[in-house]
Amino acid sequence: MKKKIVSLLLVAMMATGLVACGGNNGGNKTNESSGTQTNETGGEEEAGGDETEEAGGDETEEAGGSGDYSGVELTYWSMWANTEPQGKVIQAAVDKFQEETGAKVTIEWKNRDVKDILNSALESKENIDLFEDDYKRIAQNYVKYVADLSEMAEAAGYADKSYAVFQTQQKAWAQEKTGSEKFTSLAEQPQVGGIFYRKDLFEKAGVEVPTTWTEFMEVCKTLKENGIQPLALDSAYASFAFGYHLSRYVPEETISEMSKEGGWSSNADVAAAADSMIEFVNAGYLADGAPDEYPNSQNKIGMSDEVAMVICANYVTTEVNNTAGVELEWGLFNYPGVEGKDDLAASAYAGANSIAITDYCENKQAAFDLAMMIVTGENDQQMANDAGQIPADPANQAPASQNGTVEVLKATTAPLAWNMGIGENADLYPKLDECVIQLFEGKFATGADFAKALDGLY
Amino acid sequence: MKSKKNRLFIIAFTLPCALSLFIMYLYPIVRTVIMSFFGVESVTARMSEWSFNGIANYQKIFSSPTFHQAIRNMALIWIVGGILVLSFALLFAVILTSGIRFKKFFRAAIYMPNIISAVALATMWIQYIYNQEYGLLNKFLEALGLEGKNWMGTDMKFWAMLVAFVFGAVGYYMLIFINGIERISGDIFEAATIDGANKIQQFFSITMPLLRSIFKTNITFWSINCISFFLWSKMFAPVNTEASTVVPVVYLYDTVFGTTGNVTRDAGAGAAIGVVLSLFIAVVYFIMNKVIKDDDLEF
Repeated sequence: MKKKIVSLLLVAMMATGLVACGGNNGGNKTNESSGTQTNETGGEEEAGGDETEEAGGDETEEAGGSGDYSGVELTYWSMWANTEPQGKVIQAAVDKFQEETGAKVTIEWKNRDVKDILNSALESKENIDLFEDDYKRIAQNYVKYVADLSEMAEAAGYADKSYAVFQTQQKAWAQEKTGSEKFTSLAEQPQVGGIFYRKDLFEKAGVEVPTTWTEFMEVCKTLKENGIQPLALDSAYASFAFGYHLSRYVPEETISEMSKEGGWSSNADVAAAADSMIEFVNAGYLADGAPDEYPNSQNKIGMSDEVAMVICANYVTTEVNNTAGVELEWGLFNYPGVEGKDDLAASAYAGANSIAITDYCENKQAAFDLAMMIVTGENDQQMANDAGQIPADPANQAPASQNGTVEVLKATTAPLAWNMGIGENADLYPKLDECVIQLFEGKFATGADFAKALDGLY
Repeated sequence: MKSKKNRLFIIAFTLPCALSLFIMYLYPIVRTVIMSFFGVESVTARMSEWSFNGIANYQKIFSSPTFHQAIRNMALIWIVGGILVLSFALLFAVILTSGIRFKKFFRAAIYMPNIISAVALATMWIQYIYNQEYGLLNKFLEALGLEGKNWMGTDMKFWAMLVAFVFGAVGYYMLIFINGIERISGDIFEAATIDGANKIQQFFSITMPLLRSIFKTNITFWSINCISFFLWSKMFAPVNTEASTVVPVVYLYDTVFGTTGNVTRDAGAGAAIGVVLSLFIAVVYFIMNKVIKDDDLEF
């Protein structure tokens, strides 16, 4: 009897365990998983099927939730958290979209790690209609699983509401990957790189924005003479900074090639670029303690009135403002070119986090309209203001922290990649990056030594 | 009849567990091992998309300077960190079981880093101890009239990370040692004291030999901990993976998911790294079993 009771108890425990482990297969659309938020204003329970197909038809030519999407359900995987400014603006835009169109949108806040799970989710055709990620990853890694937005974008006049550089770039990447062009995503958070500086400190020292390396060195000299440390640098951005510098001596394709195959020593321009950087470091133009641990050096720009510039992407200004709790007077100028290499002087880093629509989405037009509502007009302006970022819609106004960014983005036609090709060899990158940090640490006496150290890694 | 019924019960009870193990452990292991011989871009790609690579994935990782660096860093964490952690853990365990006052307080204080998030702990070390401008270490050196140092520079970053990690790990191994020491009967020490053995002699002749199985447990746990080392490396290099802090799991992660600014993925090579790491664990476990035998003493 006792054994039977024990057996029954064990079976009950096992059954409970199995039920508990079994989970909820339909959990995606509900709010049961952590970090998921469902918006339930509007929309009808019985929606879906053919009705939703119809809703995504020609009826809605105008972007921005002008159509009637009653009964349409969309699932949106966001790379933000609902507590971040970007998340809050997206939430507000989605609420408005639901109110205007009658659609029901479920947002799942996946945060930055979305990149680790997206591929598997898309492969298994998980219930995702639109999602956010880096536009290069979308155009290369997820290109098979996302819809071509060309026709809808054309109908909505997207070309006039966005930066051309992101469209041409993503089409080229898709072509490289699949052999045919595809318009894969709408830019939501554009980024641009360059030298961000404090206008007030430049004024105090009486210096103008430089356009060449010689002028830049003069500016640094004057700043230093006025008690201002010229350049903040955290080791996390060492390759970005030197990559920019190198890109003024060597075309990015050549840097990528050298990153993959070596041969740094056989290109005299590499040693020349490193020599000029060694001269810069030896002149004491780096801020005290640089290259420092991220974000200590960049924070000095906001925490004191002693450091004037930083080489980074535009989000650095918002980061510094937020940390210091002040609204600094920022400016941006493109990385200076070097004499005799005028053809390499104009390019700038540009990138974007973007919104894509899955190719198996049943309501692509509704998803597209929602995406357009987020990346254009007043929601985009709100996003730019609240998150301190470049507006995705060039018609909107950049906040003060992003002064100068729109102009640089508009002028950029062939953007540089992150780290300008140094990171092209993903496998070797940490070792290459270490050499670059050591260059800033003053560990190399000559540029030739630096190039030799890089070649020693192959 | 009864034994047939019993067999049925045994099968009914073990089947769910066996099936779960098969599906959740054996299948991924087998798939990973097979995958390590194929060219696979995405970790969940269909097998029809795989292309046979032979041992190319293994050749790739074994010829990679970054993988060499990762293995070197892991080995240093295992050996240097292991000696430090286990020595301090044993020292504290012996002190705390010697009848000192406020034993519970000290035990809780030493264990406390284990209940604090590693993210918070690493941030504390990076910002408040190693910071060049206002960090504890440089302030201390300054007070002594010495020049401060960039503790997070390429030459010191690994050691800075190791010290911070060791600080957080000691308490866990100390508790296991305490448990092992308290298991030893007080009569043995009493008899040794009557025979004239001092505390040091007792430690080397009684405590150490009787802690052999505990050592084996701690070394095995430490080895697994080192092989799966990830978070501290990520905290000490938050934007890009850096050579000074890279470890095999971080290298695996970057290989499988891509890095900042580079979307290239190689799940096949990632699988090969996983297989190599599993073999490391098996080798360590095998050596531990051979070197430290714990079945020859009864007490």
